[in-house]
Amino acid sequence: MNDNNIILSVSHLTRKVTVEGSTKAIVNEISFEFKRGGIYTILGPSGAGKSSFLRLINRLDEPTSGEIVFDGKDYREYAPTVLRQQVGYLFQTPIMFPGTVKDNILYAQGRLDEARVDQLLAAASVKPGMKDQRDDKLSGGEKQRVALARLLATEPSVVLLDEPTSALDPTYTEMIEKVIRKIVAEQGLTAIMVSHSPDQAVRMNGVGLLLVEGRLVESGPTKELVENPRTDLGRRYRDKELT
Amino acid sequence: MIELGFTQVFLAYLLVALAIGLSLWWKIPVQKDMALGSVRAFVQLIAVGYALKYIFELESAWLIHLAMLIMTLVGAQAASSKVKKVRRSFVIAFVSIAAGSAVTIGALLLLQIITFEARYAIPLAGMIIGNSMNASALTANRICSDIRGHAPVIEAALALGKSWRTACLPFQKEAATTGMLSMLNFFKTVGIVALPGAMTGMILAGAEPLKAVLLQIVVGCMLLAAVTVTSIVTLELTVRQFFTPHHQLVTDRDGCS
Repeated sequence: MNDNNIILSVSHLTRKVTVEGSTKAIVNEISFEFKRGGIYTILGPSGAGKSSFLRLINRLDEPTSGEIVFDGKDYREYAPTVLRQQVGYLFQTPIMFPGTVKDNILYAQGRLDEARVDQLLAAASVKPGMKDQRDDKLSGGEKQRVALARLLATEPSVVLLDEPTSALDPTYTEMIEKVIRKIVAEQGLTAIMVSHSPDQAVRMNGVGLLLVEGRLVESGPTKELVENPRTDLGRRYRDKELT
Repeated sequence: MIELGFTQVFLAYLLVALAIGLSLWWKIPVQKDMALGSVRAFVQLIAVGYALKYIFELESAWLIHLAMLIMTLVGAQAASSKVKKVRRSFVIAFVSIAAGSAVTIGALLLLQIITFEARYAIPLAGMIIGNSMNASALTANRICSDIRGHAPVIEAALALGKSWRTACLPFQKEAATTGMLSMLNFFKTVGIVALPGAMTGMILAGAEPLKAVLLQIVVGCMLLAAVTVTSIVTLELTVRQFFTPHHQLVTDRDGCS
């Protein structure tokens, strides 16, 4: 835990929810350490708890038990508003606030000069000419890149990406993947991405985590995890037996 | 002044009979509601008339407070019954209406516009509570539907490190305006489209029109302040029901929406 190279660690992280009288652990005893500057892709079948896991890290939901340590401190020591600026979250469906692209960046961080806005837009591969475009004039891929630039405005150390390309076509998907790899390389961020695509996980070329029914069943270099899983559940996931 | 007795009131019920007859002729299925409603109104109003006569004669401060408390409780019950699936909706409506009433009646007393007599306090409280009740229900319903309908936008703001208050600000403005809309419209149209109740009542009772108008202006100012306070308190308390102390949006799985 004192390893300075570890930006985020979770230990026995669990979230239980009660639906129609029955209680279920949607995130179940997950323990893992995320290193600074790493790219992590979380894979798993539908309902495996991938998004629920990300929501706990951003503290959009509260764990039932377990620990989260961010930058050497227990997550409860941070005000949620401060923690969320440090651990940014990009949603599956790009969400824009009413206004221009620039308004959206300034919503995240009001005290930014023009040069910094340009820098953030460039980091997310948003064309400079789009700064004054209104939110309703943007395509899905453009919105997602603006949302990424907006998230970077709070200068996070970790970015959580919840299936950021699932609503995009292959061209935009490739573009977003490239942008993520670029910001990780240039800014030393840690990216934790949920994906439903093993191919995408391989393209992101980092560490993969496989979640099944809320449990972390396997982790390791993404290519190995996807192509040569060590566990029975991993092989069943590879062979598309788990849906 | 026209002298009204029970004979005139019973004769007025011929108009109810006319309305029922017309609705029968046109096959509009409201006869039962009309008949029951008009009888209920008669019984309720006569009861209130006797109760007010008793309270006015006694002129007891605690009785005035008790009457106001009962009116607020009934108003809160009516307002909260219109708000769907929000925790503590009755308490929210009660506190909001009570706040709106206390602030405005308190201000009128402090400014010596009225004195604390049953004759003034109770009818004014009735007007305030009636309007505040509607403002509270409208505001609560609007903010609840906006929060439920815009949950992804609110969560996107929270995920950027915004507080629940900042995340809900655009929706709070809309909801507050909705709650105050009837009073804002009233100020726009008063005297032109409609002659309001208090003024009309005074004129019918034989008062000078100018005095009636002055009272109506005071009533208008009072109601505007009351619905504003009620809407803001309703908003403050309702929005909190959707968030945990850690700025997390509470959704249907937690029993709120």
